[in-house]
Amino acid sequence: MDNGATMHLAVSLLPGTSDLTGEPEFRRLVRFVQQAEAAVLDMVLLADCAPASDSGTVNNPMPFEATTLLAALATVTSRIGLVAAASTVAHQPYNLARRFASLDIISHGRAGWNATMARSPREAANFSRPEGFSDTDFRRRGEEYIGIVQGLWQGWDADALLFDKTGGRFHDPGKMHLLDHKGEFFSVRGPLNVARSPQDTPVLVFSGLSEPDLDIAARTADVILLDSGSVESAKVRHDDLKRRATAAGRDPDAVKVLTNISLAPDDSSATVADRLETQFRAKSCDGFIIQLSQLSVFDDFINRVAPELRRRGLFRDTYRGTTLRSHLGLAGGGEQ
Amino acid sequence: MTAQMKLGAFLWATGHHIAAWRHPKSHVTAGIDIGHYIQLARTAEAAKFDMIFCEDAAGLREANIGIASQTSRSIGFEPISLLSALAVQTSRIGLVSTASTSYNEPYGLARTFLSLDHLSGGRAGWNLVTSASPIEAANFGATGLKPHADRYERAREFAEVVTGLWHGKASGHDGHSFSVRDPLDLPRSPQGAPVMVQAGASDVGRDLAARTADVVFTAAQTFEEAKAFYDDLKGRMVTYGREPDDIKIMPGVSPVVAQTEAEAREKHEELQELIPDDVGVALLSSYLSISDLGRYPIDGPLPELPESEGMKSRQALVVEQSRRDGLSIRQLARHFAGARGHWRIVGTATQVADELQARFEGGAADGFNVMPSYFPGELDAFATLVVPELQRRGLFRRDYEGRTLRDHLGLKRPA
Repeated sequence: MDNGATMHLAVSLLPGTSDLTGEPEFRRLVRFVQQAEAAVLDMVLLADCAPASDSGTVNNPMPFEATTLLAALATVTSRIGLVAAASTVAHQPYNLARRFASLDIISHGRAGWNATMARSPREAANFSRPEGFSDTDFRRRGEEYIGIVQGLWQGWDADALLFDKTGGRFHDPGKMHLLDHKGEFFSVRGPLNVARSPQDTPVLVFSGLSEPDLDIAARTADVILLDSGSVESAKVRHDDLKRRATAAGRDPDAVKVLTNISLAPDDSSATVADRLETQFRAKSCDGFIIQLSQLSVFDDFINRVAPELRRRGLFRDTYRGTTLRSHLGLAGGGEQ
Repeated sequence: MTAQMKLGAFLWATGHHIAAWRHPKSHVTAGIDIGHYIQLARTAEAAKFDMIFCEDAAGLREANIGIASQTSRSIGFEPISLLSALAVQTSRIGLVSTASTSYNEPYGLARTFLSLDHLSGGRAGWNLVTSASPIEAANFGATGLKPHADRYERAREFAEVVTGLWHGKASGHDGHSFSVRDPLDLPRSPQGAPVMVQAGASDVGRDLAARTADVVFTAAQTFEEAKAFYDDLKGRMVTYGREPDDIKIMPGVSPVVAQTEAEAREKHEELQELIPDDVGVALLSSYLSISDLGRYPIDGPLPELPESEGMKSRQALVVEQSRRDGLSIRQLARHFAGARGHWRIVGTATQVADELQARFEGGAADGFNVMPSYFPGELDAFATLVVPELQRRGLFRRDYEGRTLRDHLGLKRPA
């Protein structure tokens, strides 16, 4: 397991990334993700264009929905984590829990769900809820939703499947559990009709947090993504989240806090490495998520910044495990 | 060139036979092994199948946990993620998944299938169903199943919204069940629009299919049933201004094929023997609409039963067969559990090809959805024995003519 000495690095693919449109973009995406894997990054985050965006128009959307894209990319990579955004408005919790459980099996334990907490009126209008929810209702609904998804992911014990052909016992009925959830917004009986995740549960990533979301995130998230800011303000937010996680009875190291960094083509690699080193050594975060304005910037990061970070002992040079949880140094799965 | 039949490979984890997972040669971990599915998809593609087809249910398939634990059907891949993975591991074969109109929203589903269509270069299809299972309903906060007519009214509006979005309709929809403001944020499908598949056999289901489907999947035991369904559905299309050839009707068929007839029968018997008695009796009980068949001696005859208030015709059929053939409860249970109501052919490649040819040329089918009894063995057997025989007879393609699923099926590209 990761001892926390090195930073976690992720890269985010946004719909607005400038050179991602046109017919051959799936092949370009494959190259990009394989490049990220060769550079030993923890994970790639796949944004989902429509629901994530609240602008009136969407420029240069990727022609893919994030969970289908994740499944496709899973078969052409072997180690890197793949995290797809999916909204709590566009899917029923049972369907979404199933999709990600399935993605985790397809990827052999490399899937994560980026649950965006921000509300999107534009999305509501496409999902038969033009009036939307009140802020408080939306937050309570979101928390209930996430609890259901995590509960469904835990419906099968790790040793529930027997595959006993001669004895005629496919699974142990005592090791399959109904959820029997009856809440304010949903009732879901379960169990999930997808087997247990190879990493026990897919990784849960939160982004777009506002102040009242922080406790939900500290209680349930595996990874929290925060916007960039000064080292001082990032340090305050990081310490605050870890404190909240402790208050919720969790090991503070069970929640990884990553902050956004935007790369521009004209930064020098040493400058970028300096910036990351300063923030990381100040313990203002557990790592970074790279936001790309265009794909070519990523080449510079892979070829110059990542080797520089390694030289300084700040980033690993090989994957030590095969699941996303193992890359992130999180408990879970068969690699403990 | 004479018309050629369309073929689907209906994938289902360990196999379509209820006891398939227990067969010594079945791949028992199929439900958690993506490599297994990649291999099946490549086998089907090498045999030039039009498409692979996936079933779906948003819940367990069996309410009794003890019975469920003796079948392999409680776990498997969610089919849209499965097909998205298969899309990049294949290059020509069509990829069709079931998804319910009861527990999805049209904007999200239209977007997801269009994404699969882009990933696959125009090979995606959606099998529209409504959900009738109370086990599924309990996962979606429903206090009970919606009545049949309501489910189909929702399905009709759902299909209208999805096809509208696929065809690039820009304006909003504000209907009875759904409201949608924006057009999709993805480019148009490489095949114009993903292929629409339907499976409903009821009157209202047939009307919906006649209006919107490109492919219809159906179950028919006899030639007469298949022919009557075929003629009825094609007849309904006129009302909606469509031509009969705009829909391909593909009944399910579950072949057990081997080099000799004796070998095929032996293979079938071997599977039948693997059906656990209580699994078979539970299924038989459901066909008979009674709950306590288990308290009668399993090697004895079927007891006298009160007339069913459930599936009257199905009960009569089972009782008739048990009296006529003098079958015990065990024998009856195996008979019905094994075939699951689908058309079964047990024999050599010649015999299977003869039967398929008769239904195809007799105007009872445009093709077939092949349901191998266990995987990978029976898909391999169909691909290596039956497909070459159909090709020799000029009844099936030797290579793909185009790139998209619409190309394979000979369907018009939507305007």
